[in-house]
Amino acid sequence: MTSSNATVTRLGERIRPGAEVAGGFFRMCMLTGKALAKPFEWREFIWIGWFLMRVSLLPTIAVSIPETVLLIFTLNLLLAEIGAADVSGAGAAIGAVTQLGPIVTVLVVAGAGGTAICADLGARTIREEIDALEVLGIDPIHRLVVPRVVASTIVAVLLNGLVVAVGLGGGYLFSVYLQNVSAGAYLSTLTALTGTPEVVIAFIKAATFGLIAGLVGCYRGLIVRGGSKGLGTAVNETVVLCFIALFAVNAALTTIGVRFGTGR
Amino acid sequence: MTTAAPPLRVRFPRASTAFNRYGEAPVRLLADIGQMVWFALAAVGQIPFAVRRYPKELLRMVAQMGMGTGAMAVVGGTAAIVGFITLSAGSLVAIQGYATLGNIGVEAFTGFLAALVNVRFVAPVAAGQALAATVGAGATAELGAMRISEEIDALEVMSIRSVAFLASTRVVAGLVVIIPLYGLAITLAFVSQQVTTVFFYGQSAGTYNHYFHTFLRLDDVGWSFAEVILVAVVVMTTHCYYGYTATGGPVGVGEAVGRSMRLSLITIVVVVVLTAMAVYGKNPNFNLTV
Repeated sequence: MTSSNATVTRLGERIRPGAEVAGGFFRMCMLTGKALAKPFEWREFIWIGWFLMRVSLLPTIAVSIPETVLLIFTLNLLLAEIGAADVSGAGAAIGAVTQLGPIVTVLVVAGAGGTAICADLGARTIREEIDALEVLGIDPIHRLVVPRVVASTIVAVLLNGLVVAVGLGGGYLFSVYLQNVSAGAYLSTLTALTGTPEVVIAFIKAATFGLIAGLVGCYRGLIVRGGSKGLGTAVNETVVLCFIALFAVNAALTTIGVRFGTGR
Repeated sequence: MTTAAPPLRVRFPRASTAFNRYGEAPVRLLADIGQMVWFALAAVGQIPFAVRRYPKELLRMVAQMGMGTGAMAVVGGTAAIVGFITLSAGSLVAIQGYATLGNIGVEAFTGFLAALVNVRFVAPVAAGQALAATVGAGATAELGAMRISEEIDALEVMSIRSVAFLASTRVVAGLVVIIPLYGLAITLAFVSQQVTTVFFYGQSAGTYNHYFHTFLRLDDVGWSFAEVILVAVVVMTTHCYYGYTATGGPVGVGEAVGRSMRLSLITIVVVVVLTAMAVYGKNPNFNLTV
């Protein structure tokens, strides 16, 4: 009996930190949902939206251009090999809208937006500004977390639009001017396999990613402990958790998405 | 005409400050890039010295990166994270590829897509990002904390070469760790695609295997390993640079991790795209005529 009790205790000690973090995250999500009903902090929202845009605009462009080139380059080589270079537009569209947009958004939202939110909130936690807010009777979830989560969601949707635009435009330039695909063929096949459902799904995906990254960044920033090492580790963990969550969510949403796709 | 400058500066102090700030931005950018390149060269150049003089630290780094520390170990260490990310990326290719190829009636080619797309870019990019997020960002956090608490200065005082001791050992450890990790990653990507296509979508295993094995080239896999090794060097030097030069207290460490992550997101894709163009640009080698 005693040995089994000891085993249970040891097991409890092993899973307790993880369970506490998961439970705290769930609690914060609920509180954030509840705080949405309170009057919205427009000023903070606009400020944070601008901050996130500033942080992630350049990485988005810089990541999406090489990714586009990689995709279009391989695709056109393949299509030229089997004599179907005319349908290059269809491939570019399906690649850019269904995969490139969401994946680049995942990377940038997690790697740039999430880290920035976590570093910012974590710094405030370390300087005990969050405790000061609570002493003043201000709810940090309502004042700080809600605007960040909403801003992160909206910025992710906007970035997704940017990535898709870069993908289609860059694909056009690369195919037509460098790989000798006919411009008319590119444009006319653009909508062959990609239609409104794909675009809607891409935007739903982007909004979900932004929401998750915002929540994870805020939560990890609020529970920072222990000086500079602690903050660095917190930002590191934000990236890892966001990547894991977002790749899993992307696979799940894609599975749902292809059911409603064009041509099915 | 030459005397116009001082009165202008006096008359419009804010405009002239702004002009100075933005006018000097390109110069500062160049200086930053130069410092980064200099650091990268020093870190890579001192590898032989580090291997000879600090083998113990090197082994410790390899163990730490492979197993993961702190919260990383709770979710299963670096290997589990890299594996999980490439697993989802691989199944993504299968899901989207099967649906899209099904639209034009050739879903039999999913195996071809798996062999081609995965090896050439999905697996290297996904593994590189996962490496940057876990090992790289961890190194920035660790080195940044050391810099802030003046441990790096202490190392210099004890006449230990800090770049060799901290950065070069981490670059070598990254190289050692990435090879088994990438082997695991690419295997998981292949397995996840096969499982998704054969079990979830119900394609016959023979069809999948035929196209997969016909179009999987050993050269491609070799090149993909080369790409990932290059990515590992770039990622580790970038992250070590940002950690090594962190300033401004705990906040500075957090920001350094974010900045290094942003830069390595870009450099990974750039490295992969340049390698792909260099290797496949002249002769795409799709193995279409067996």
